[in-house]
Amino acid sequence: MEIVTLTITINGQTIKAPFGSTILQAARQAGIDIPTLCNHPALVPVGACRVCLVEVKGQRNLQPACTFPVVDGMEVQTETPALVKARKFVIDMLFSQRNHFCMFCEMSGKCELQDLGYRYGIDHWIYSTYTKRFPVDATSPYFLLDHNRCVLCSRCLRACDELPVNRTLGLGQRGADSMICADGIAPLGSSTCISCGSCVQVCPTGALFEKHSAFMGTDEKMSCTKSICSFCSIGCGMTIVTRGDQVQRIESDWEAPVNGGRLCRKGRFEPLYDGRKRLTTPLVRRNGKLAEADWDEALQIASEHIGRTDAAALGALSSGDATNEALYLFQRLFRRELGAAGAGLLRGGISRLTGMKPGKLSDLENSDLILLIGADPTKDQPVASFLIKRALDKGAKLVIVDDRENSLSPFAWQTVPSGDLDKLLVMAVQASRPVVLHGAEMTADAAKSLMQLGKKAVAIALEPAGNGCAARALGFQNGLPSGTHRLLYILLGEEKDIGENLQQAIAPDAFLIVQASYTSPLAEKAHVLLPSAIWSERDGTLTNTEGRVQRARKAREPLGESRQDWEILALLADRLGRKMGESFDDISAQTVREVQGKEI
Amino acid sequence: MAKIKIATDWLAGCAGCHMSFLDIDERIVQLLDAVEFTSSPVTDLKHPPKEGVDIGILEGAISNTHNVEVAKQMRERARFLIAVGDCATFGGVVAMRNLCGTDAALRRAYLETESVCGGVIPDSQELGKPLEMVTGVDSVVKVDLFIPGCPPRADAFFYALSELLAGRTPVVLPPELFLYD
Ligand code: SF4
Ligand code: SF4
Ligand code: SF4
Ligand code: SF4
Ligand code: FES
Repeated sequence: MEIVTLTITINGQTIKAPFGSTILQAARQAGIDIPTLCNHPALVPVGACRVCLVEVKGQRNLQPACTFPVVDGMEVQTETPALVKARKFVIDMLFSQRNHFCMFCEMSGKCELQDLGYRYGIDHWIYSTYTKRFPVDATSPYFLLDHNRCVLCSRCLRACDELPVNRTLGLGQRGADSMICADGIAPLGSSTCISCGSCVQVCPTGALFEKHSAFMGTDEKMSCTKSICSFCSIGCGMTIVTRGDQVQRIESDWEAPVNGGRLCRKGRFEPLYDGRKRLTTPLVRRNGKLAEADWDEALQIASEHIGRTDAAALGALSSGDATNEALYLFQRLFRRELGAAGAGLLRGGISRLTGMKPGKLSDLENSDLILLIGADPTKDQPVASFLIKRALDKGAKLVIVDDRENSLSPFAWQTVPSGDLDKLLVMAVQASRPVVLHGAEMTADAAKSLMQLGKKAVAIALEPAGNGCAARALGFQNGLPSGTHRLLYILLGEEKDIGENLQQAIAPDAFLIVQASYTSPLAEKAHVLLPSAIWSERDGTLTNTEGRVQRARKAREPLGESRQDWEILALLADRLGRKMGESFDDISAQTVREVQGKEI
Repeated sequence: MAKIKIATDWLAGCAGCHMSFLDIDERIVQLLDAVEFTSSPVTDLKHPPKEGVDIGILEGAISNTHNVEVAKQMRERARFLIAVGDCATFGGVVAMRNLCGTDAALRRAYLETESVCGGVIPDSQELGKPLEMVTGVDSVVKVDLFIPGCPPRADAFFYALSELLAGRTPVVLPPELFLYD
């Protein structure tokens, strides 16, 4: 499609704007600043606040730039005395509508209403102080909704509608008494809210703010680190906000290619409330008890035991959430250098539907038929479920193949048991852009049937482990490779435990070396326990379920004596006389070559 | 050249604005070359001189009838009146009373507080009567310059006075000194 370019003038400056853009978009593209409040670049504009008013030649009234489309030859003024007067009036009204005494507001210093007050010199109030007291909803475990600071811009409810597509928020009451409400009337904590935090991130004022970072300081005291969430295989881009070595909050990255401003509870809030006890120093078993040791001693004991164990009796098992670098070093050390039979994954990877077009999550957006099979993304890859619901809004149909309850069933056009695939294949053949989303529970039979679709459909796998895609590429097997293991090395990372089956597969007399971040039943059993860094403390790359390699960055130093997974493995390799690489960058480069060079 | 006369006073406030004013530190010596402080809560003279001052400075909100009198007297006797602090400009912390109402606030403070037994709500003729609504100073007198802030930065005071001494009348503070908190 050809893009028609229009010519308009803003404040006398001639600029080009693509057909269909609003005055605000055209102005921003040209670097011309128009103040806004209810507008948010990621949300559909509604023109609710009137802060962005501009003069358009030929129009009788002032017009909101955020919703007014440009037409060829349009002449716009953005900061005339009349506009400044109108804007001050609007801002004055906003300030007097509710309680805007900034000195005891958490958002002071990072509030868009306050910024407008400063910009337009609102140094006293023309309209009398608002005296009505509104409630504060503190029932969400993660954030507060203080109606007294709300300017009714509707950003939060548009975010809830457009990003997680959850539609919890709406507007209740009327006029000046209007209030943002959850499910009509419910307190947030007992509503359908799924704690994705999108509403909190877009709120321009102190009406919605996170509990964890509340009153911990203004933005200039915080540092931001762009990183990647590794709690599932979607690989959402995020910004870790820290003050000193304290992680205050996690924000979504609007520019991130996968999630475009979305995050889920697992990625945004839960990591901040992990109550498990961290391992902060190496521990070794002395007289039957785990006792503190330094790295030197712990690595020495570990390497001695590994050195004297037969390759055939060497077991190696890793979490699939570890970085590419850690996984690369892990399989290289144990499989290639030490000759172990294989390296296993705690939560298995899934096989790909060969012969079909490998898809990207962005394919969901323009799909007309989504076949979801053997996966429950609402639970396991939440942002994928947001993207599915978004596609449904645009007219796609969802067909779920699941023998059990699926959280997306209420949105499905049809839910069919896995034995009933043939009918679906007909539907998929008739659709114009079918997408198959498949997870770990897809049966081999189902996979075989689906592959008949060939290039007709794109297939997207939903890997169960955060970095499962890289693990597959690096040749990890599912579960513990068979054999009698006299020594078992387990990279547990941040996982809670290894599960019943694996637990039982461990020989009772095996020497157990565990690399983990938290105490756990498995860690208790270890002979050598090596403390590893967590998500906020590690550098490296991660491969998401589409095969996209992204950079995770550390926002603080590892706690106590703990070290990053790759570093522990490199140190261990060193002790064993195997040189892995000169530096992190060197190892990372090798890793990326290895991961990307493979068909995933 | 005759010195510029300044009077200051506080209404319903916490004295923090006056503290912040004194935080201009040694620059106050520089000011004293050109300025004479007359009445203020921290000097002996308690009312602005009858013959008037050039600059009147008021801290605190209008919360009772006494505040109204003090504000009006200051206005009558000052050629240029500055309201300083969030209380004087917006009502500030004091205006939180508006959210529950004056009666409830008095009951809570003098009768219902956990540490009180047999309390009474003060009702002496010497005292001003609390108003129904707490407001900024401009609801009762005309204000020539507003300096918001809780408290305003010392530099904001110094800037405003320096401008006035130089014969310029600031309308709004420059952005780096214009803060609500
Ligand atoms: S929401 Fe903004 S304007 Fe309102 S009190 Fe808080 S910082 Fe001030
Ligand atoms: S946290 Fe997410 S689901 Fe909950 S109300 Fe906000 S946007 Fe909606
Ligand atoms: S809660 Fe925040 S985002 Fe929602 S309407 Fe109020 S001010 Fe806007
Ligand atoms: S969907 Fe996955 S990657 Fe994205 S925020 Fe949630 S847990 Fe993290
Ligand atoms: S930003 Fe345009 S009307 Fe609110």
